[in-house]
Amino acid sequence: MSAETGSESEADAAESGVETSTPDSEIESSGDPILRVEELTKRFGGLTAVDHVNAEVREGEIVGLIGPNGSGKTTLFDCVAGRQHPDEGSVFLRGEAVTEWPEHRIAGAGLGRMFQHTRIYDGMSVLRNMLVSASEDRTVARLFRPPSDEARERAEELLKRVDLWGLREMRAGRMSFGQQKLLEFAMLLMSDPDLLLMDEPAGGINPSMIRRMLDYIREANEGGVTIFLIEHNMDVVMDVSDRVYVLAHGEKIAEGTPEDIQSNQRVVDAYLGRE
Amino acid sequence: MSGESAKATGSRSSLARVLSALSDRAWLLLGLLVAVGAMLPTAGLSGFYLTVVVQMYIFAVLALSWDLVGGQTGYPSFGNMAFFGFGAYTTAILLKDWGVAFFPAVLAAGPVAVVFALVIGLAVLRLRGGYFAIATLGVLLVSVQLSRNFEFTGGASGKILFDIPPENTFYYVFLAILAVEAAVALYLTRTRFGYVLNAIRDDEGRATAMGVNTTYYKTAAWMLSALFTGWVGGAWGAFNTFVDPQTAYNLGWNVELITMALIGGAGTVAGPILGAFGLTLAIFVVDTVFPGWQLVALGLVIIATVLLLPDGIVGTLEERAAAMEYYEMGGEAAADSSAAAADETPGSSDPDVGDPEVSDS
Repeated sequence: MSAETGSESEADAAESGVETSTPDSEIESSGDPILRVEELTKRFGGLTAVDHVNAEVREGEIVGLIGPNGSGKTTLFDCVAGRQHPDEGSVFLRGEAVTEWPEHRIAGAGLGRMFQHTRIYDGMSVLRNMLVSASEDRTVARLFRPPSDEARERAEELLKRVDLWGLREMRAGRMSFGQQKLLEFAMLLMSDPDLLLMDEPAGGINPSMIRRMLDYIREANEGGVTIFLIEHNMDVVMDVSDRVYVLAHGEKIAEGTPEDIQSNQRVVDAYLGRE
Repeated sequence: MSGESAKATGSRSSLARVLSALSDRAWLLLGLLVAVGAMLPTAGLSGFYLTVVVQMYIFAVLALSWDLVGGQTGYPSFGNMAFFGFGAYTTAILLKDWGVAFFPAVLAAGPVAVVFALVIGLAVLRLRGGYFAIATLGVLLVSVQLSRNFEFTGGASGKILFDIPPENTFYYVFLAILAVEAAVALYLTRTRFGYVLNAIRDDEGRATAMGVNTTYYKTAAWMLSALFTGWVGGAWGAFNTFVDPQTAYNLGWNVELITMALIGGAGTVAGPILGAFGLTLAIFVVDTVFPGWQLVALGLVIIATVLLLPDGIVGTLEERAAAMEYYEMGGEAAADSSAAAADETPGSSDPDVGDPEVSDS
């Protein structure tokens, strides 16, 4: 991050009352911003779900987003991914304004989305779920041809990595919730995203599976995928994140390293204290 | 594993193997079907029985066309007979008023239906589920009324056609349309395009979030459906020697073609063809043995299908095979790898259950 941007961010924080526990310039992992959200606001009638939120995710980071239920985390993701359009503010992907882009175009630009409720193609086989997600096959030239050998090899590699290769011919909807979650993650990697929005990757799965999911997230990150994740499991967030943003009632109330966030009194009062 | 369950698993394995073998030989089976079909007139089939087979081909094309949108893509259209009617009127007008030869007149019917589908699709394909179904039914009803009111369509009286080719020519035209459509559908199910249609059917929101502009794919499937329905409608118009609003937009057929696809197995290539062949034969038999009872029989078949075979014949077989895959491959994976750990937290098999904080703003 440039010094200029960092200064702006600190000034914004001071102005809005957000507690920036650690100056951005001191945080490790300082790639270029892959995602920038400026003054993003989303209202539903009289309810302001996201209120003038500023946030940034830099290339190579794993950034956590936490907050109580109803704090606007998923709505913020929806606005970033183009599922909903904000009433105010802007979203930039690699510096390009994508605020008004349709969802499929934003996804095509390299943004992958893992949903809070696992979403796969229930009626298709596990392998077909992977093949239809292949990024190379988005070109019209490949549209009317069977999946390439490269796509099949990549699918095999990823399914083996998440231990689902043995289930490749199974109808995906028949798998357990945990297996579906792994499949969704593998599908997203198949689409070769630059930035992955993950909404509660550890939600509803057992501790053993959570450990595996954490390993996969780290592996993907080491492989070049930037991660922005929502999570209620504090152990997961604090373990895996480089930085953390905290929302409450739609407003950003804090940002910083996991250590700083855990000792931030405002966060403790608004969220962690309730745990 | 107990002997009994092993035996049960063994029988399921056989089913899966048979389905897999048939799937691998789909092109061969299609070739055989076409070859046998092509030989029927030379083998002495004629008159009433040839008409029955022609009717089977017509309905197979209609059911397969419907399935491209309703089964493969998950958009249940109730307006496909509008494409059929447009095709029939196109051929009738070209033959009678423009003096165009038979084959060019039939060929033109497909593209005309496609253009109509494109215009309509831009509006109705924004809708989903029941709203889409009702909108397409509305399109069909409007088409009936328009054809009745315009002079160039012959109004309510319709158009009578003369100088049409012999019956055998029609037989081969219908067989050719079915063969080409089945081949196209079979090929598409193995391409990225076919995969995306199924993805839209299963979860359009997920497909969009993966970067798919679903509008293009839905519209393409809709237009493809219209192309073949238009062609078969065009050929039928001449075959019937008479085209009027009531027969060209046959509302009874509109129900039958959907029923056929559902009975055979929506979302498959073999299902709609099997359903069309089987139900057409059944209707002819009922009509012959118990004249006037064919609609009652059709109604009973629909109710029985919904209750007993909600996935259709092919769909039920595939589902059985999938169940076998679950028990066999799931067990194997659990034993061989750490996939067992990927199972859900006890008591939370439903993703909405077990996580107390799943709802967010």
